[in-house]
Amino acid sequence: MTWSLVELEACFEGVIPSIISTADADGIPNISYLSHVAIVDDHHVALSNQFFAKTAANIRLNPQATLLVVDGHNGAQFRLDLRFAYSMESGPLFDSLALQVEASSAQAGMADVMRLRHVDVFRVLAIVDTPSPVATPARRKPERSRLDATRGIVERIAAAADVDGIVDATLDGIRERLGFYHGLFLHCEPDKTQVVAIGSIGYTPSGIGAEVPLGEGLIGAAAGSGKTVKVSDMSRIRRFGSAIRATTPDENRTRSIPLPGMAEAMSQIAVPLLVQDAVEGVLFFESAERLAFGRDDEAALAIIARQAAASLALCERLSLEGESAGHRPSDPPAGETHIDVVHHRFDDSVFVNGDYVIKGVAGRLLVFMVEQSLASGRREFSNREIRLDTSLRLPDFKDNLETRLLLLRRRLEEKMLPVRLIRLGRGKIGLEIDGSLRLTRQ
Amino acid sequence: MLDAELAAFIESPVMQIVGTADAARRPGIARGVGAWRTDDRDTIELVLSAWQWPETVANIEANGRIAVTFSRPSDYVTYQIKGTAILRPADEGEIERSAGYTVAIVSALMRNGLLPEIIAPWLTARDAVVATIRISSVYVQTPGAQAGTKRASIRR
Repeated sequence: MTWSLVELEACFEGVIPSIISTADADGIPNISYLSHVAIVDDHHVALSNQFFAKTAANIRLNPQATLLVVDGHNGAQFRLDLRFAYSMESGPLFDSLALQVEASSAQAGMADVMRLRHVDVFRVLAIVDTPSPVATPARRKPERSRLDATRGIVERIAAAADVDGIVDATLDGIRERLGFYHGLFLHCEPDKTQVVAIGSIGYTPSGIGAEVPLGEGLIGAAAGSGKTVKVSDMSRIRRFGSAIRATTPDENRTRSIPLPGMAEAMSQIAVPLLVQDAVEGVLFFESAERLAFGRDDEAALAIIARQAAASLALCERLSLEGESAGHRPSDPPAGETHIDVVHHRFDDSVFVNGDYVIKGVAGRLLVFMVEQSLASGRREFSNREIRLDTSLRLPDFKDNLETRLLLLRRRLEEKMLPVRLIRLGRGKIGLEIDGSLRLTRQ
Repeated sequence: MLDAELAAFIESPVMQIVGTADAARRPGIARGVGAWRTDDRDTIELVLSAWQWPETVANIEANGRIAVTFSRPSDYVTYQIKGTAILRPADEGEIERSAGYTVAIVSALMRNGLLPEIIAPWLTARDAVVATIRISSVYVQTPGAQAGTKRASIRR
């Protein structure tokens, strides 16, 4: 049976280590495991060569090499006859392979050891099945039309008129059309030091408001590099970040919201949200299946992430232009319940009745609205006046106001607090309060 | 060449991969299914399937040149042995010993999270042959700074 490289996709996900054999000028063989093999095009593969100097030396003396790769789904083995083509130390393919090597090595606690120096590219002369003592089961992957599903999701995102709608269309669309059930939508802070979860699916608690510094873990790597990063078999790697923790008491003490995660995750993917090649956020999904994210899924998620990023940017732009009409329904009469809002100036963290809500700019926004409400009884606010208020210290350029309001609104909802935000239309927001407010500043 | 520590290592449940080359210096790959020390400190014996790896068997018959890498799945501790080999059919006792190795390595891989049906295509003793390998050098191949260096603790 003849094979093409693309059909061997499941051999190149790094689940089962590949093996490379070379021979020197005298025909003395050398054999070793290889950490990463990537498909370059229909006729070439790239091998990362972090430390096996002998293999690198041999192929320069004798350009013939043999590779044994294993299908991660069914264990089938294939022999690839290779001929060394060229070596590279830079370029997009090098960068993407280097990123994969670094991400998976860092998670295995070997960041310093596994620094990628160069990548050797080989021409594939032949692909041959290795005899198997057992019948290997057929490929598991069902044929789903990724193109059609992607179009459906992109249309839904493009039709959404606000940040809420965009985030939901993205996460719900991926769940319904692509069948991935655990994911996060993270948005980049304007200072570009971290990404913050503004949407979440499949996790309890949702983790909305969780922050990931650029460069940390898979999500941070995608945010920092603007490239997709994935892992196809987590059992070989230690979990990153804060996986499963009790949330509420911890949150109140640390004033940071834990990143949610599946304890049994086997595959993870982080895709950057790019607008004109600037990173605006990250789309993250994980699955309990090995090899859950194939090349087609990767492509689908990249297209979806581009659309979501463009739509978000458009929403923020439109929010600068006037607001639409819309009024909040009148409040029920304020009950006797007291609501204590505490604002800590040093990090702008806000607690409502002792529960940590949020910090930073979103915290200042909440305090601003509470203050105004206490001073004049106002419960409606426009983006324009929020932007004009200098005490909020919003950045002049690209303040991401819509995204911050969404984050704040979802956080208040999730905590089921007696203070909530409601969207009244484009550029307008309402404050709902069930009780009588008291604001303390510390 | 083979001290007690290394001898114990190659007899433990470690993955065994075999490199050879033909007259045109085209490399071959095979998996071993069991290896052990002999009375002679300079030789080891390794079982492989002539049915599954015919190119490797042909290469060894033609020139005897061989490299075998032993790697422990749990911590990636890895050694490569190079030398020259001669082949003969495996006897019953050796086939039984190979079966014992297969059970042990499958268990070790399963403890590492691999499913038995994924491993099954890799390991067979069908048409088993034994390569008696005269060792010429041993290298450390554990990922890290020492990778590729000769194993210093081994003295002839």
